[in-house]
Amino acid sequence: MRRVGRRFGGLRAVADVTLEVKPGERRAILGPNGAGKTTVFNLISGEFPPTEGTVELFGRDVTYQPARLRARAGLSRTFQTSRLLLGLSVEDNLYLAVLGARRGHLLPVRLPRLERQIRERARGTAEAIGLADRLGTLVRELSHGEQRQLEVGMAQASSPKLMMLDEPAAGLSPGERHKLTDQLLALDPGMTLILIEHDMDVALRVAQWVTMMHDGRVVAEGSPAEIRSNQMVHDLYTGSRYKQ
Amino acid sequence: MLVLFLAGAPSVFDSFTLSQILTKALWLGIAAASLIFLSSYGGMISLGQTGIYAVAGFTMANLVHAAGGRNLGWDPWAATAAGIAVATLFGVLCGAIASRSYGIYFLMITLAISVIVFYFFAQVTTLSGYGGIRSVTPPAVIGNPVINPLPLYYAALVASVLVYVGIRYLARTPFGLALQGIRDDPARMQALGFNVSLHRALAFGVGAFIASIAGILSVWYTTQVSPGGINLAQTINILVIAVIGGLYRLEGAWVGAAVFSTIDNYSRLWMPNVGDWLGPDRFETVIGVIFLVIVLASPGGLVGIWESVWARRNRAGRGPTESSGMPAAEEVDGVVDHPAAV
Repeated sequence: MRRVGRRFGGLRAVADVTLEVKPGERRAILGPNGAGKTTVFNLISGEFPPTEGTVELFGRDVTYQPARLRARAGLSRTFQTSRLLLGLSVEDNLYLAVLGARRGHLLPVRLPRLERQIRERARGTAEAIGLADRLGTLVRELSHGEQRQLEVGMAQASSPKLMMLDEPAAGLSPGERHKLTDQLLALDPGMTLILIEHDMDVALRVAQWVTMMHDGRVVAEGSPAEIRSNQMVHDLYTGSRYKQ
Repeated sequence: MLVLFLAGAPSVFDSFTLSQILTKALWLGIAAASLIFLSSYGGMISLGQTGIYAVAGFTMANLVHAAGGRNLGWDPWAATAAGIAVATLFGVLCGAIASRSYGIYFLMITLAISVIVFYFFAQVTTLSGYGGIRSVTPPAVIGNPVINPLPLYYAALVASVLVYVGIRYLARTPFGLALQGIRDDPARMQALGFNVSLHRALAFGVGAFIASIAGILSVWYTTQVSPGGINLAQTINILVIAVIGGLYRLEGAWVGAAVFSTIDNYSRLWMPNVGDWLGPDRFETVIGVIFLVIVLASPGGLVGIWESVWARRNRAGRGPTESSGMPAAEEVDGVVDHPAAV
C-alpha cells in the first residue's frame, strides 16, 4: 500500500498508510479498536477502493480491482465476525473456498475429476483444521470455536499466495487459541500471512514483523521483540494517552 | 412412490379430475418450482415468473397455426423449442437487470417484469390477437386435451419429474453450490472469487427456463393464451401456490399446486352460502384464508408442517435426521429472517 487513505463521509478511517509485505512474510497488524486495521484489510482485499493512494498485489496495481479478481489472483481472507455459508455443510463451505480460486464456477454438471480434486482438497483442509469428523454438519450447527476454525480453513483451502486473518482468535478459549497458533505456525512457509489480532501472545508468536496502528495511521513497526519492549505499544493497549 | 402413483392415476381418476386437477397441478407446480428454485437455492423471491412463462406461451402460440396472433404455421415442436429459448433469453436479460438488487427491490423489479409483459401483450394485438390467441395447435402427440387428456397429463408428469430431478442435480453441481453460497452471503462469495451478479443473472435464466416449460404446458392445456391469463392475479397465484406448498421446499411447488387446483375446482361445490360474504364464488377468499393460516402456522408451508412433524417423531425416537441442505422447517419460521428475504 502506498500512502493509502480512506474516508467515509467526514470520517477519515485510514490516512497515509504505507505498508510493504514481502512474499512469505508473517506480518501482524496491531492496534486498539478503531485504529483502522480492518479498513486496511478491506482496502487490500478490495471490499472498497481507497480514496487516496494505491494498492499493489503480487506486483500489480489493483487499486480499483474488485475483490473477486484479487481472490482469483491468490488472496484469501477471513472476517472479524465469522462470515460462513450457514445453510451449507462444512465440506461444502470448504468446497466453495477451493472452487472460488479455480475455473468452473458456472459448471452445471459434476465433472468427476474436478469434483474429486476439489473434494479431496476440502477434506484435507478439514483434517488440517480438526473438523474432519464434522464434514457433513451444517455450519449453523457448529460451535463458535469450530466456526472460527472453519473461517481459517476456508482461507487456507485454496492454497493462497496471501492469507489475511482478521482476529482469528476472537472468542476462543485458551485451549483453542493454542491450537490456532499451532495451526498458523504450521502453514506453508511460502504463503504470505497478514494477521490482525488483539491477543498479543498469538500475534507475536506467529509474526516475524509487526505494524502498529493508531487513529488510522501506522505509528510503529518492528520485530515482535521490539514491539514487546515498546512503551508506546504498552500505553496504547493499557489505555494511556498516546503522544507522538 | 408418488411418481408411480401418479403414473397409474389415469386408471384411478376420471378424465375431469385428471385434466382439471392433476394436469393443472402439474404445470402450475412447474411454474411454482421455478419460483421455489430461485428462493430456496438463490435467495431470490421473484414475481416475474408469470411474465416469463407468458413470453414462452405467446412465442409458441404466434409461431404455430392458431386463431389470432401471427399464425406462422411452424411445426409445434419447433415453436415449443423457440418459445422456451426466447423466454430463457428474456429471463437472463431480466436477471442481468435484477441481479444487483436484493430483498424488496428485487421483488419490485421482478413484479415490474410481469406487469410490463402483461401490458405489452395486452396492447400489442398483432402478437396477442384480440382477446388472445385461440385454437393453438399443440404437437400431434398431445392431440386435443379436451377430447383425450391422457397424453398431456403424461407430458406434464414427465416434465415435472425432469424439472424436479434436474433442480436436485443442479443443486449439487459447482453452479448450484455456489448459488446456495450466494444465497447465504453474497459478499463472502465475492471475497472467495465468485462473480455474484453473473451467477444470480444466470440462475434467473435457469428459473426462466423452468417457467417457460410451464408456459408451454399451459398453452397446450388450454389451447389458447391471452393477456387475461397472465395478469397480476396469476402472478400472485403462483406466489400463493409456492407459499402454500413451502417456499423453501421444492416438493412444495406441486403440493401447493395440487391444493390450489383442488380448491379452485371444488370450493364452488363445498362452499355454503352465508349472507353476502361467503358463497360458491368466493374462491379467492378461501385461498386467501388458507394462505394466511399457513403463513401464520408454518412459513415452511404444507411440506414444512410435514417435515416438522416428521422431525419431532424422529427426535422422540431415533434422534436427529440428516439435513437436506435446504433450510429446516423450524429455521424458516421467520421468513423475513431467511437470507432470501434480506
